[in-house]
Amino acid sequence: MSIECRNLKVGYGDNIIISDLSVKIPKGKITMVIGSNGCGKSTLLKSIGGVIKPKAGSILLEGKDIKGYKGKTIAQKLAYLPQNPVVPQKITVEELIAFGRFPYRKGLGGLTGLDQKIIDQAMEEVHLTNLKDSDVEELSGGQRQRVWIAMALAQCTDTLIFDEPTTYLDMAHQLEILKLLQELNRKRQTTILIVIHELNLASRFADHMIAMKQGKIICEGKAGRVVTKENLKEIYDIDAQIICDDKDGHPICTNYEML
Amino acid sequence: MNKKIIIAFVTGIVMLVAAVLIALMSGSYYMSAERVVNTLLGNGNGAENLVILNIRLPRMVIAIIVAFALSTAGTVLQTVSRNPLCEPGMMGINSGAALAVVGYITLSTGAYYDTLSKNKILLMPIVAILGSCLVSTLIYLIAFKKGKINPIRLILVGMGVNAGMNALITYFELNMGRGDFNEVLVWTSGSLWGTSWDYILAVGPPVLILIAIVICGYRRLDLLKLGDEIATGLGLNVQKEMTKFYILAILLSALATAVAGNIAFLGLIGPQFARMIVGDRHKRILPLGGIISSVILIIADVLARNVFSPLEIPVGICVSMIGVPVFVYFLVKER
Repeated sequence: MSIECRNLKVGYGDNIIISDLSVKIPKGKITMVIGSNGCGKSTLLKSIGGVIKPKAGSILLEGKDIKGYKGKTIAQKLAYLPQNPVVPQKITVEELIAFGRFPYRKGLGGLTGLDQKIIDQAMEEVHLTNLKDSDVEELSGGQRQRVWIAMALAQCTDTLIFDEPTTYLDMAHQLEILKLLQELNRKRQTTILIVIHELNLASRFADHMIAMKQGKIICEGKAGRVVTKENLKEIYDIDAQIICDDKDGHPICTNYEML
Repeated sequence: MNKKIIIAFVTGIVMLVAAVLIALMSGSYYMSAERVVNTLLGNGNGAENLVILNIRLPRMVIAIIVAFALSTAGTVLQTVSRNPLCEPGMMGINSGAALAVVGYITLSTGAYYDTLSKNKILLMPIVAILGSCLVSTLIYLIAFKKGKINPIRLILVGMGVNAGMNALITYFELNMGRGDFNEVLVWTSGSLWGTSWDYILAVGPPVLILIAIVICGYRRLDLLKLGDEIATGLGLNVQKEMTKFYILAILLSALATAVAGNIAFLGLIGPQFARMIVGDRHKRILPLGGIISSVILIIADVLARNVFSPLEIPVGICVSMIGVPVFVYFLVKER
């Protein structure tokens, strides 16, 4: 699904985070947003996900204004996961993933056969089938993140929007999640939009990168174009050393100093 | 998991039936279980019919209606306010209804301890609902800030308004005659005294319809517990649904208060116990919470009627006696 933002103005109360932002999220590609803390990355995702209403400007999904869609319709096209979702008490992995079917459920009945099949498949894709009856509260951070991702997968959308899905994971789990998302993108052309702090992982996995600072996009494009010494200086105020990866040439930041 | 749920429900229903039976048996006119069942089947004599069919049975039916209404309202408020310790009694909703009824009693004249006229019976629920709605709207408007309802703000405003309402009720009480005062005491501490089939007709159908509406929304209630952002991401209109459920909770509490006065804690104990036993899914805790609250209310009523016989103490006091230690237990456990 194509997503476009035009002249977005978003803020919390009187605090304007994004003052005038226009961007097109490429369909069927993995887009990663980087930037310093407070630059508006989460705010941008929240606007697209429908959690915050922009004060001005418009968001277009498949060319149509987001306001013209019903909540459930959007939920069938676009899955949004916030940062640090709250885990309710006493709920099993399978039950939490089942929530992902909410946009499709009608009437008062229980889960249909199709619902169950999709839930099982989502659990399988994140490798949690053996933990399906465990309490989500008792899982590790990495496992919990995979449960949320499975819930988003169960929504069967062609677009996934995740706000910092890897922040609390260790290196191995970060890689695991990103490889999973990459696989989804390759297999089903899922449009993926992520906010991520790990620069080198973004550089490695993103088809398209967006760098933000103070509510504006200062650079976007392929990793090679965005991850440069000059850009990193502007985004993070750091002096970075960039080299190119042997295998596919994507830029890697090996070391950096404060400016 | 499933076995546990079935056992819980079956146990609950068995306990409810047992409680009802004990309640029908006990009182100043004691009847054995056999005689009670016989009377229910239509084989009782004049006195037995009077006691069972006209006095005790309607009281039981009302108790179950009230308990279910308060338990459902409590469950909904706990979800909407994201606070497991929230219940209608502390949100000013019940005291708003009580204040309206108190005002109505003060302003209307009539014999005390009389069987209330049919008009008065039918008018009480309406007066109570009006009082509840006014107070709840007041709470909602004060808690509404920048286009959103913040759950914590809702609770705090509710508690503040509750204190205000109770102050007003006390003011009324200090200024009224003894007869009025006794009648008011009965209302503000909750009582099932003097209920009849008329009350059941006045309050039963609306309560049933409202509970049915709430139960139909069980999935949305479950979703609200995941937080605003996830719920919105899954397609729920969070503000609209929260408001809808809040209104349902208000109406249910108002109806219960109209008929039985301000009974605190029922909206808290039932749902909490249910959660502890069968987990946090509304499909299960809405019915089970109602059953547990009913059992507690009926037992409290038996105690209220018989412990200080022939005096009858308001059932709200007995529920509070059971409720306060339980409430403290939950507070400690939450830590």
